[in-house]
Amino acid sequence: MRKMVFPGDFLADSKMSVRGVYVEDGKSYASQVGLYDSDTGTFIPLEGPYEPQEGDLIIGVVSEVKPNGYRVQTGLPSETFISNKDIRESLSMGDIVVAKVRDVDEVGEITLIDATVLKGGSISQISPVKVPRVIGKKGSMLAQIKATTGSNIVIGKNGWIWIKGGDEYLATKAILKIESEAHTSGLTDKIADFLKKGGRE
Amino acid sequence: MSEEEYGSGKREDVKLIIDGKRVDGRALDEMRPLKIEAGLLHKAAGSAYVEWGDNKVIAAVYGPRECLPRHDANPYRAKLSVRYLMSPFASKEEHGRSGPNRRSIELSMVLREALENVVLLEHYPNAMIDVFIEVLQASGGTRCASLVAASVALANAGIPMKDLPVAVASGKIENQICLDVGKEEDNFGQADVPIALAPRNKDILLLQMDGLLSKEELFRALDYAEKMAPVIRDAETSALEKAYARAGEE
Amino acid sequence: MEVMDEIKKSYVTLLLEKGERADKRGMFDYRPIEVKKGVIESAEGSAWVQLGNTQVLASVKFQLDKPFPDRPKEGVLSTSAELLPMANPRFEPGPPDERAIELARVVDRAVRSAEIIDLESFFIEEDKVYGLYIDLYVLDYDGNYFDAASLAAMAAIRNASIPPYKDGALAMKEKGTPLKLSGDALEFTFVKIGDKIVADPSLDEEYARDARITVGICGSNICSIQKSGRGAFKRDELEKIIDISFEKYRELSKYL
Repeated sequence: MRKMVFPGDFLADSKMSVRGVYVEDGKSYASQVGLYDSDTGTFIPLEGPYEPQEGDLIIGVVSEVKPNGYRVQTGLPSETFISNKDIRESLSMGDIVVAKVRDVDEVGEITLIDATVLKGGSISQISPVKVPRVIGKKGSMLAQIKATTGSNIVIGKNGWIWIKGGDEYLATKAILKIESEAHTSGLTDKIADFLKKGGRE
Repeated sequence: MSEEEYGSGKREDVKLIIDGKRVDGRALDEMRPLKIEAGLLHKAAGSAYVEWGDNKVIAAVYGPRECLPRHDANPYRAKLSVRYLMSPFASKEEHGRSGPNRRSIELSMVLREALENVVLLEHYPNAMIDVFIEVLQASGGTRCASLVAASVALANAGIPMKDLPVAVASGKIENQICLDVGKEEDNFGQADVPIALAPRNKDILLLQMDGLLSKEELFRALDYAEKMAPVIRDAETSALEKAYARAGEE
Repeated sequence: MEVMDEIKKSYVTLLLEKGERADKRGMFDYRPIEVKKGVIESAEGSAWVQLGNTQVLASVKFQLDKPFPDRPKEGVLSTSAELLPMANPRFEPGPPDERAIELARVVDRAVRSAEIIDLESFFIEEDKVYGLYIDLYVLDYDGNYFDAASLAAMAAIRNASIPPYKDGALAMKEKGTPLKLSGDALEFTFVKIGDKIVADPSLDEEYARDARITVGICGSNICSIQKSGRGAFKRDELEKIIDISFEKYRELSKYL
């Protein structure tokens, strides 16, 4: 059975190592508002900041050019850096990049690799916990938006979304709709309908 | 003169309990109505509005974000910054002064420390989380209403916490310990004991007292807080549930 | 500083696990106390307190005041505290920060709540009352400025005399009459480190602490409580702390 839980709510007698769960004396408690399925033991936080993991693709904007690399703004509180060693092209202030998290050190500083510059387009920001819904099961939701709008879309796990070309306006509107209705049922059909009607409800 | 700033006044002039009822008609162990709304602000990561009796308090959370000033950054955990302020129009008296005063600086500190206990700050080293609390209308017990508002706003922002903390003040009025003291009771009562608890393990997160109390009376105030903790927490979770109402349908 | 604190914390915690404190004191023992009254002749009352290596000077000054509009028949009581930069490398010059404000308000709370000073006796005539000003100077901070300041404030109040009122002013240079008091209010501070609780924390114990609590006692009553720090207290710990505070009240009152 799935139910909404709140910080401090008991979840399980065993240790759950997932995001949004807090373990004390071997027992698991919710640490964020979320949906907990006691049958499958899954927990989905309904809100919360992005917590970077190795291998995540995130989107950022170059904010400082330094002798040894680039500082990138990603909406995270900590320093995010691309070293000159890890990138061939040279970047400029204001460049939008998509890159992979190589490493998060113990004080939260992030190094990025495999950076690619995204030329032109615009950036939308959504709550990071809603990112999986925008992508959909096996990328179905995103594929649907791309197909209808003809837009090129790149989604960062940090909740930053780059959109370029096609009907950018409709694509943005659809993504924001998914964010606000992230956990309602039949969302895929709803969005398909929304896109078909060109963004009119 | 701001609330609670100058201690207790002349008691013998004011009757606060008549036939077992308090000035607002409540029983000794009765709390004022508590209403909470979560997520009413749009720009903040999380927010909450609390009406507790005639208290009206709004709280907003920003972050985790870059720590400013930079040298305040802590490599072990996020810095939690709490700002409690009372509006100049918060009481029936004359227009008050804006901005922080000694009282609000102290309350900001004890509220921050109470919240630091439950917020999992270790998740965000070097970062900063801001909690802004504005008391729009004050009627006794604003620090407890503020803690409740901050608690809901933090949860609404998805900041990981060990528990949803709760708070309620008890007081001594005409030699009796009463739950949730109102403004007049606070001004003319014999003691005021605001208490914040983590409901799950009953940890005491905030405890202040002014006035005169015996040890037994102090623990009666703690009994009240422990008894009300689940009730207040229910009000907090209901507010959050409402804010995410559409989420559970699937 | 944060890194240093973590190192000190682990050392202090390690000792406490073995039931020891760095200076070999028992868990609830106070450091040696010395109280000198009347050290500042320009003040109507004063006291210099040493608690171990922590030193606090308290003074009591009077001035002619207007009463607060909602208490027209009462005198004014006001307490300020300064954490002087000479007292500790962590104290910085500038207006009182939250720690100094907390100290002033917590010491004030005990004196005020205990009602040991009859503020109605400070009434002179319509719109004229005595104002009693307590200034707390932390000169040397080696842990637990709360209890040193509370003891100094109480000793200074005990030492104070009220200047006579003459021709519309206070005759500050004339010999005053001793201030009448109905009792003594003193505060006692405990810190919690891990799950251990100690009284009268040393500086390292202050830096290592998870939580602190200061309890004011006046006779058989509690007259103030202030919990601070990110740690929490359990109900049974609070009970023990209150009991020991009453014990320490009997012990420390003799220094007044």
